[in-house]
Amino acid sequence: MSREKKIRVLIAKLGCDIHERGALTLLTVLRDEGMEVIYTGRYQTAKGVANAAVSEDVDVIALSDHTGSLPIIAQSVLAELKKIGVTDMKVVSGGLLSPQDIKDLEKMGVSGNFGPGTPLEMIIEHIRSAAR
Amino acid sequence: MGAHEAKVDRMAGHMVRTATQSGIELKPFYSADDISHLSYEADLGDPGNYPFTRGLYPLMYRDRLWLKSFIVSYATAEETNQAFRQYIANGLTDLRLLCDLPTQAGIDPDHPSAWNSMMCGGVATYAINIYEKMLDGLPLGEAVFEFAHAGMSSFLYFYGVLVAVMENKGIDVKKLRGNSINDPIRTKLVYSCPDFPTRIDRRICLDHIEYSVRNTPNWRPIAPNGVDPCQGGMDAIRELGGALAVATQVILDLAERGITIDEFGPMVFALDAESDFFETIAKFRLARKMWAKIASEKLGAKTKRAMQLKIGIRTSGLSLTSQKPLNNAARVALQILSCVLGGVNSLDASSIDEAVGLPSLEARVFNLDTQHIITHEANIPLVADPLGGSYYLEWLTSHMEREVNKYLEEIEARGGIFACLESGWLNEVMEANRLKVQREKAECKRLVVGVNAFREEGEEGTVNTAIRDVAYKTPSVSMRENLVAEVKAFKAGRDMKRLKPLITELYRATKEGRNTQRAVIEAAREGMTVGECVGVIRAGYGINYDPLQEIEMPDFVREITKM
Repeated sequence: MSREKKIRVLIAKLGCDIHERGALTLLTVLRDEGMEVIYTGRYQTAKGVANAAVSEDVDVIALSDHTGSLPIIAQSVLAELKKIGVTDMKVVSGGLLSPQDIKDLEKMGVSGNFGPGTPLEMIIEHIRSAAR
Repeated sequence: MGAHEAKVDRMAGHMVRTATQSGIELKPFYSADDISHLSYEADLGDPGNYPFTRGLYPLMYRDRLWLKSFIVSYATAEETNQAFRQYIANGLTDLRLLCDLPTQAGIDPDHPSAWNSMMCGGVATYAINIYEKMLDGLPLGEAVFEFAHAGMSSFLYFYGVLVAVMENKGIDVKKLRGNSINDPIRTKLVYSCPDFPTRIDRRICLDHIEYSVRNTPNWRPIAPNGVDPCQGGMDAIRELGGALAVATQVILDLAERGITIDEFGPMVFALDAESDFFETIAKFRLARKMWAKIASEKLGAKTKRAMQLKIGIRTSGLSLTSQKPLNNAARVALQILSCVLGGVNSLDASSIDEAVGLPSLEARVFNLDTQHIITHEANIPLVADPLGGSYYLEWLTSHMEREVNKYLEEIEARGGIFACLESGWLNEVMEANRLKVQREKAECKRLVVGVNAFREEGEEGTVNTAIRDVAYKTPSVSMRENLVAEVKAFKAGRDMKRLKPLITELYRATKEGRNTQRAVIEAAREGMTVGECVGVIRAGYGINYDPLQEIEMPDFVREITKM
């Protein structure tokens, strides 16, 4: 029996984006991989997500968004995390992304940055390595 | 000889499935025996005749082509207006209106939760001033409009705004043509829209329909939607079954308000054109047939109109891929073809760049041209229901009818479509199928070209890169800041002496159980915003003004509730 601590992931959607299928797919896929996954549901605030990440003691926050606003969303979550003194949280993102968005996100330290249709094994592997 | 000798594998790309996209197992071929149970008169009928399996009109596309429509909604009203004009010049005949995501959720741009998705997916149409700009110079009395929004508040409010704009311009509102999705099941099942709880959704759905039936007879005030549940995971059987169940329930609810199905007139369904070619065609033919039967046998329709189902299409966004986006051109062309062969009435086809961002002008003109090529070069629409009589298609249509009927019986046994929503059962059904599809993809039992099969190795070529680069980009931070300032100034600049009594009337109509639609038209004309409309109706029910519970009720609304 493995005594290895399970990876804990918070999948988060902020603002009013209604496109949920990516988040739900990730939720089941990561659970099937043996991770402990919490999904915030839609219509969340940055503050709520930052607090949830801390109180649930997650290893990774996975931001999902299909409005093209991932850099803005990531920035707001990172700012809220900083306010409560968290500077080492791993944040990954996926959804609708332009090449410029990916550059901006990487600059903030947000990794992954997967577009629609990314092979799931690639996302799983990335979250595993981010959580290490 | 080099080490890398090219190998030919004649089984490469062999069929991996024996079932349709919705899991209907197929035989290698079909013959007369498979359809011997069908009667031409009862099950098919000539185009224009009950049960309309073969189409609604005797001449079908010869004298009226399907409406060519797009949702057009970019970050600003000016861009959107400009785009509508360009698409109309390229053959657009049906204007689908939408707004950004916060507006669809029922909040204004100055709400703190609007920031992340403001101006994304469309214009922030927070009040009538934006509609006036967005529709400037467009032929309001002649065009066909559709409201494609997610939240139920949107249909009540934007229909109100559109009527107010027309009245202000002195255009007879009886000329208003088009439809609202206005589907209270889809809004919760797929979007969990926060604007109203289901009991309010259900009431304002009927308020909108009742007002429209009596005042704008050419407006179809509900179009039960299968597109979004299907994109959310439902298969074709449950997509169609869900739309039929919603339509049936709404007609029954309207009877309680004294409106018969014959007064209501033709029904419209918003259905999904998926990648499975024959299954999609069978679904459209079957939708017309099943509604005709339900309308006449169950709902007592006497007139031919009331038995006719018009089908509006959105092609599957989910089928599009961001890998090798050029492939989307083939996907969309086949989906458009299935719509034409299935005899639909309006068609909103996705563009090749939609997996990357909002569609670009060029991608959409290509999309319209695909439809023109199907029409004028391939001559597909010359003959109605050209696949009618095909052993396979007729068997498939008939098989799906049995399956949809089973699903409808199950919904009925569980207390009807609203009970199935509230109990979470609909969501379970949707999720189970979503997971099944996901597993099939992971196990390569369902191939998606360029994603889990035939993947591109190495660098992407110039055409695919170009498609990716032209896709529309989302609005910047400074654009968002300007919008928030604009909304605040708009709110501060209104004549509250005129507006307050109109909002008071909306509050009272809500509370006293009177139809809210006229009150919404009057208050929207004087500048009531969408967020205020939602908040005041919620206040009328005694629940929190803000659906997201972040902002306080404005003082003037508080005064109204205390009057």
